[in-house]
Amino acid sequence: MFKAFLKQPLLWFALTGILLFAVDEKFSIDRNEIFVTAAMQERLGGLWTTQTGLTASEQELDALVENWIREEILYQEALRLGLDQEDSIVRRRLVQKLGFIAEAEDSAPPERGAVEAFYENNLASYTLPVRYSFQQLYFASRADAQQAVAEIADGADPRSFGESSMLNSDYAYRSALDLSATFGAGFAERLDSLAEDSWQGPVQSGFGFHLILLSAIYPSQPSPFDAMQRQVLQDYRRSQQMNARDAYIENLIDEYKITVLPR
Amino acid sequence: MPKLKIILPLLASLSALSACSDDSPIASDNSVVADLPTKTEPGVNTTSSPSVDFNTDRNAYFGDLHVHTMYSFDAFMFGTTSSPDEAYEFAKGGTIVHPAGFDMKLQVPLDFYGVTDHAYYLGVLRQLANPDSEISKHPIASGMSTLGGVLERRQKNREVNQFMRSENGHEINDSGIQKSAWDDIVAAANRHNDPGNFTSFIAYEYTASAPDAARLHRNVIFKGDEAPELPFSQLDSSNPEDLWQWMDDNRAAGFESLAIPHNSNGSNGKMFTLTDNSGRPLDDAYANQRIRNEPLVEITQIKGSSDTHPALSPFDEWAEFEIFPYRIATYLDSDPNGSYVRQALLNGIQMQAGQGFNPYKFGVIGSSDTHNGTHAGEEYDHWGGSSLFDADGELRGSVPLPEPTADDDLYAQTYYDKWGAAGLAGVWAEENTRGSIYDAFRRKETFGTSGTRMKVRFFAGYDLPNPDDPDVITKSYADGVPMGGDLIGEAGNSPSFFTWVAKDPNSAPLDRVQIIKGWIENGETVEEVYDVACSSGDVDPASHRCSDNGARVDITDCSFSAGVGAAELRAGWQDPNFNPDQHAFYYVRGLENPTCRWSTWDAIRAGVQPNPELHPTLQERVWSSPIWVTPAQ
Repeated sequence: MFKAFLKQPLLWFALTGILLFAVDEKFSIDRNEIFVTAAMQERLGGLWTTQTGLTASEQELDALVENWIREEILYQEALRLGLDQEDSIVRRRLVQKLGFIAEAEDSAPPERGAVEAFYENNLASYTLPVRYSFQQLYFASRADAQQAVAEIADGADPRSFGESSMLNSDYAYRSALDLSATFGAGFAERLDSLAEDSWQGPVQSGFGFHLILLSAIYPSQPSPFDAMQRQVLQDYRRSQQMNARDAYIENLIDEYKITVLPR
Repeated sequence: MPKLKIILPLLASLSALSACSDDSPIASDNSVVADLPTKTEPGVNTTSSPSVDFNTDRNAYFGDLHVHTMYSFDAFMFGTTSSPDEAYEFAKGGTIVHPAGFDMKLQVPLDFYGVTDHAYYLGVLRQLANPDSEISKHPIASGMSTLGGVLERRQKNREVNQFMRSENGHEINDSGIQKSAWDDIVAAANRHNDPGNFTSFIAYEYTASAPDAARLHRNVIFKGDEAPELPFSQLDSSNPEDLWQWMDDNRAAGFESLAIPHNSNGSNGKMFTLTDNSGRPLDDAYANQRIRNEPLVEITQIKGSSDTHPALSPFDEWAEFEIFPYRIATYLDSDPNGSYVRQALLNGIQMQAGQGFNPYKFGVIGSSDTHNGTHAGEEYDHWGGSSLFDADGELRGSVPLPEPTADDDLYAQTYYDKWGAAGLAGVWAEENTRGSIYDAFRRKETFGTSGTRMKVRFFAGYDLPNPDDPDVITKSYADGVPMGGDLIGEAGNSPSFFTWVAKDPNSAPLDRVQIIKGWIENGETVEEVYDVACSSGDVDPASHRCSDNGARVDITDCSFSAGVGAAELRAGWQDPNFNPDQHAFYYVRGLENPTCRWSTWDAIRAGVQPNPELHPTLQERVWSSPIWVTPAQ
């Protein structure tokens, strides 16, 4: 019975009419009236503070409001006279503003599935390169490094060898690119053939020679989605944004009848 | 958008009332990403290098704070098409194809980077060439969308520049175009900032000139992720004092920034004047405003070095280094007096001693000023800096022309042959984040290099540790001041200095490390260069010089002597002529062994002799920011 009542088209027509009337009554602004809301006055005061570093006095605020009203009158009149028409700056600014609004479009939080699919499709961007963890001792000469590695093999304390340098003694989780920045090109490749967990070398770098205690070489691996989701979400939004402006125009294009006259 | 978009579904549902739908556009049963925990595990949250932990002894980071992309009026005319976004990708290790067809890629990516397009006509020339734009209908746009080779581009470049300078320039200077370019620059800088791995800065170039084409150029670097609506350009005012006022005003509004003057070498003596812009003597207010806004200067870049000039420093044997003699983008001589950093530092302490203020108490960085949307290549991999205009050896004067010119010149008559290859900014910062690196700029704990990645430490104090102490850095920070800092002179006590330079692991070994001292004696400025660490042994105490280490370059193939030079050099040092009553500054210059200059590499690749007018080799170098020693009051 109630359902049948809801299906009455006349009822819906009436309700919609009332609603539209109410909306119109509440929001439509008489063109000859200018409201200076409290929020607007607050904004003017805030702007003044930003520009001068001072809080606007009552008197200054009055002057700001008066100035705003005078500008608003000119603005309204300019609109009425159509001065915004065929003005390339106004046109561009409006186009830009709507463009930004279109790009900022984010009607629904993205579904996990869609973001996961994006992650899968762009897995290369979320894959860690091969990384190296090791300790090093630095020597300016190859002979010194060779002698040290022999003595360490015979049981000498590794901490008693090596020359001081700006290099660290420990490096953890460094990519080949990191190592070429720190030690010179090709250094990581020279670590690939070393045995783990014993002092090896000498290995040549851009500085000289190194004994290396390799603790691990970590293979290249995708970072799990759960660890990367914030980055993925950001990238996903970025890619959506790049499509959004086009999609927005595509959506609207049907609303227009477009005629291009012959040149 | 939501406000607009909601109207359509509402109207649609009015016409299809009974279809009370299940197919709501918003997913409800599927878990949404926003609900997921956002915590990430340290060490696995990056795809590039793992973050280096916060280091209270500070790490050296290398960057470029001077890069032009397609939005710069000149870069666009040179043929550059790469965007700020592509430039940032490049800085992180990506590849950009040069308009002449070859790949540009860094062997080692940069740690920090700022795209600095000219605010002047920002993005406008690109739109002149866009047939869909309003301004492409302007007469000056004719031919812009079909620009071809270098000759045609040069011609059009002159014509457009003339128009931009004319009183009709405003006809094409569309604020909407500038705004959209600036928004893109800001967005790109924010998008690529990756705390812990890569730092990007919102930035631009203020390109003012005095009427005699004396260059007063500055790059403005913002600290935060927001920037003023539009950058302040020379069209707003060609008086840098107005730029500082704009920066002060914006600082008060929450936009912290600093400006870095560059190419003082091409300022014809106007960059470091002893009068203000209207010719009045400098005063306390000027000095405060200047140094508040300009704590750093660019000491080197592709358009020459600005440390010092042989005419200003006749007793500095290394002063003749990548000297560019002209006002930038002209063939007019630039007066060295007032154009170089060391002299400005000297004049600064002279004002401090005589009048109690110092507008020139700045630190130094290097950068590239490339107009290719990239970074400078190295000597052995030179890309030029002006896209199609200097894309190969013939264009840049390092390789003879196929036919001599009408004036019988074997080489192109160009200023590109006097350009250097590169320039790099270094900072000591706790971590690779905007905050940490920007703070290093502000404390002037910065250094500049001619392109290679040498690192320089520099401290002064009265109780510095032994240079060989394993904790020398921690103790030096605790008991002394680093580069960029101040020390008060103590009667009867001479401060110690500690410097430590490490070579670039991908370049030549070090030759020597020097401390350059400037001071005021009887009211006059004096300078002296002290060698303090030699790869060849001890410093001769009488001449303050190292002996020649014997390193040589074979300019037929650019190979250099093996086994000569040092990987690192360090020294504790005391000034043999220290006087606690004198105002003084000290900065470090570290020199590599000689290597081939880019022009020699060009010649070798072309199979010809190097241009005899150009230096065949150079000594790459690093400059630290100064430490100032001020007499006790």
